[in-house]
Amino acid sequence: MTESEHQIRPESDDPNWFKRAVFYEVLIRSFKDSSGDGVGDLRGLAERLDYLAWLGVDCLWLPPFFPSPLRDGGYDVSDYTDVAEDIGTIDDFKMFLDAAHSRGIRVIIDFVMNHTSDQHPWFQSSRSDPDGPYGDFYVWSDTDDLYQDARIIFVDTEASNWTWDPVRGQYFWHRFYSHQPDLNFDNPAVHQAMLDALAFWLDLGVDGFRLDAVPYLYEREGTNGENLPETHTFLRKVRTFVDDGWPGRVLLAEANQWPTDVVDYFGDFNTGGDECHMCFHFPVMPRIFMAVRRESRYPISEILSQTPDIPKNCHWGIFLRNHDELTLEMVTDEDRDYMWAEYAKDPRMKANIGIRRRLAPLLDNDIDQMELFTALLLSLPGSPVLYYGDEIGMGDNIWLGDRDGVRTPMQWTPDRNAGFSSATPGRLTLPVIMDPVFGYQAVNVEADLANTSSLLHWTRRMIQIRQQHPALGLGSFTDIGGSNPAVLSFLREFGDDAMLCVNNLSRFAQPVELDLRPFEGVRPIETLGGVEFPAIGELPYLLTLGGYGFYWFRLPKNQEASRP
Amino acid sequence: MTADFHAQLLHYMNDQRWFAGKGGVSSIDEVVRLPWLDTKDVEPLVRVELVTVLTDGAPQIYHVPMAYYESEPERMAHALIGTYDDPDHGRLVAYDALHDRAAIGAYVLGFVDRDDSGGVTHTVLGPVDIDTETPSVMLTGEQSNTSLVLGENLLLKVFRKVVAGRNPDIEIHDALTRAGSTAIAPLRGWMATEPRDGRQGYDLTMLQDFLRSGTDGWEYARASVRDLMMEADLHADEVGGDFAAEAERLGGTVARLHGDLAEALQTDTWGVAEVKQLADRLRKRLAEAVATAPELKPYAATLGSAYDALATLETSVPVQRVHGDLHLGQTLRTIGGWVIIDFEGEPAKPLAERNALDSPIRDVAGMLRSFDYAAYSMVLPSEMTSQERHRVDEWAERNRTAFLDGYSAARGEDPRAQEVLLRAYEIDKAAYEVVYEKHNRPSWVNIPLSAIERLATA
Repeated sequence: MTESEHQIRPESDDPNWFKRAVFYEVLIRSFKDSSGDGVGDLRGLAERLDYLAWLGVDCLWLPPFFPSPLRDGGYDVSDYTDVAEDIGTIDDFKMFLDAAHSRGIRVIIDFVMNHTSDQHPWFQSSRSDPDGPYGDFYVWSDTDDLYQDARIIFVDTEASNWTWDPVRGQYFWHRFYSHQPDLNFDNPAVHQAMLDALAFWLDLGVDGFRLDAVPYLYEREGTNGENLPETHTFLRKVRTFVDDGWPGRVLLAEANQWPTDVVDYFGDFNTGGDECHMCFHFPVMPRIFMAVRRESRYPISEILSQTPDIPKNCHWGIFLRNHDELTLEMVTDEDRDYMWAEYAKDPRMKANIGIRRRLAPLLDNDIDQMELFTALLLSLPGSPVLYYGDEIGMGDNIWLGDRDGVRTPMQWTPDRNAGFSSATPGRLTLPVIMDPVFGYQAVNVEADLANTSSLLHWTRRMIQIRQQHPALGLGSFTDIGGSNPAVLSFLREFGDDAMLCVNNLSRFAQPVELDLRPFEGVRPIETLGGVEFPAIGELPYLLTLGGYGFYWFRLPKNQEASRP
Repeated sequence: MTADFHAQLLHYMNDQRWFAGKGGVSSIDEVVRLPWLDTKDVEPLVRVELVTVLTDGAPQIYHVPMAYYESEPERMAHALIGTYDDPDHGRLVAYDALHDRAAIGAYVLGFVDRDDSGGVTHTVLGPVDIDTETPSVMLTGEQSNTSLVLGENLLLKVFRKVVAGRNPDIEIHDALTRAGSTAIAPLRGWMATEPRDGRQGYDLTMLQDFLRSGTDGWEYARASVRDLMMEADLHADEVGGDFAAEAERLGGTVARLHGDLAEALQTDTWGVAEVKQLADRLRKRLAEAVATAPELKPYAATLGSAYDALATLETSVPVQRVHGDLHLGQTLRTIGGWVIIDFEGEPAKPLAERNALDSPIRDVAGMLRSFDYAAYSMVLPSEMTSQERHRVDEWAERNRTAFLDGYSAARGEDPRAQEVLLRAYEIDKAAYEVVYEKHNRPSWVNIPLSAIERLATA
């Protein structure tokens, strides 16, 4: 069967679909178990696509589900072209993908370029047969002296980027864990192996890839081994390969760097971008936390003003939380200490240079703050990426190892195993959350569905509004300052669609005066309720907001015409 | 007729915030009407007028741009001054031009087309482009000047009380802009009257970048204090609205400002004799303050000994142009960092004194006093519990220290090393504040007074 015979493609063929999409990161193992073995699987995820369609999700991002020894949440891949046994089969994947596409939901999958698991047959061959076909697939050295300028990323667990392999009698290079050897991108055969694997999934119909850890593909003496020109050359090669064979699919780069460095991953500005379509904007997330804690707009305003323009066919991806720790690499040392003190009161909450917590516990389960954060996520420039469970305010379990604390099973019902699995509770991949505040008896989809004032219903409504307003996806961003440092106000404009977003970052009620002269005479319409506010006049526009309150106003350009 | 118009004009001026003669007996001595600006034959007629007012016998010249209409436009009612019989145009109705969108375009056009008709000259630091489509907006809250936001990104500061000679605000902005300083909002140009009869002209307006993202440092700092006071028992470093990081960055900005000023403008060194003269000046000011505010009397002797220590300081002091009236209200937090504004110096002092070289420690002392003010401005000292007092003191100390740390790190020298000088300037500032509050806000007099108490026992 050729791909065109079986595949259902998403309805829209807009190549810029990703600019308006709401993304949703879902860990298959933790979402829904259809087989009763205690591990979430592809068939389980397919069963819950109606829920995700109801929520308004446009695109799923699936972290790695490849065969893996699972020592790094699946990012330690031991086969790039298969599905892990406990998750399902390639046929399951096809079934799931068609089911998603038929609901208008696209799917992008994680793809780990930089390294493999040490259990990958390539590595096993490389260590045992240095002269064989895979002998040069990894970065080997007789000494551990090379590339000393490359920092160690997982400072909690790794002492060096080199690890001795007694089998081959050489050191191998790894930017992450020592069980994840880095592939050798100086070897053209590695390029081909990567492109072959991408083609495999593209032929199946996936809508794109999140490229994991892209800054580290190459290593060069005297550099920090990040963002090297060779890496960009390879990414252009990947982009051309994808565009030529499968137009409309996207590449989303994970480059945890400052925006000024990240923009390079979009590629050439003049051609509209010739590397990745999307990159994550990492610093925005800790700055939102910072700004709300400081009750000051400057942490957010500053980072956005320092964010350079990007090529026209490209877009940022932004998120509040994901399966990794809340990264604090993009804040100053002083701010990092502060964030640690504020958000990680228990040392176990810290992981590497971040904080391993979900959104709700980070915000003390304060519904007002959760709504404010979500409103910011859905209105700041960039496509929002929701993290499964945050839409119902799920909690975390800091006593689980590594970053598993934020990867616990989705809480569907107050029934056994939170409705996630019919397995004996002891068999679950990770235990469900059972504490009195965030436990599944209290926090679950069923309860939130039944309660129309729940965070879940609210989030769905906000996603709907976002989808009605192209400005929130495609629009320009103008920070309009204002008299009050605790209030972040900005305009998003696209064609005739103008949205004014006003956010009170303080826990107290605040007034703000906004300079809205270009909109004189316009009567702003609050989008959640459709209420028309007083017309903008000559004087600064006065608004008052409750603690953590926010407004999304529509600023209609042809108001008289639109009125009855 | 002219007498009637003058009465109407004086009546209008008396209602304006920038008019300094309130409460006194004022009369208009002279109105110098500059030639009409080129308004391209469109109403209104616009010109600059310089109005000399005698208040209790003392003259003060005010800059009043006027717009004249043949009719009375309804929309302008709030800026009506009166009716005026013009020799060429007959009976006209006069308005404050700065409240008139139609007049402002003509008033600022000279910056763009460099047309120096209307008896004024324009100096620009580069081509200026003014968006006259978007209506301008007048900023509120200013005392002695009027500021207009033009378009999205320009600020026109209109000096109301004018004196002959270069306005220090323009002089310093000009020098710092040319030096590429990041501590200020860059200057674009200024407008002055033409020199007449060999006398210097009057600086009327300055045009600079408008920092629309800016927040007033005073309000920002007070928000932090307010945040602290809303907590039952947390310390200043524990509450969300902690300001210390901002205070430290602000210290860095002031240090860079001083560095830029020293590089761009005149510097000198005070020898032992000049430091002694400084001590004498400060002593004299203290004596005057004590005479006006007897509350200071109990501390006079101890405070005087701080000046004795200064007089016997066997050291030289580097001096330069300084801000002269630096406090949190003269700082703006923008998305690009802190910016210092308003270089006119203490408005009450004569121009020569405002331009005089001084130690940058004077500005540092001004900022330290300002943190104290911010801390105490939420709850008046007289109404404070001892617990509240302890907590605002902690806030002030934390932010003063952070400011000094930031300043030291950026300047490479710590103002605390010049302890005697810093203390002397702080005392001088606090004593001045006591007198000021006594006249203007008697309920606030305890704020500087408690600082005096602390400085006297230190």
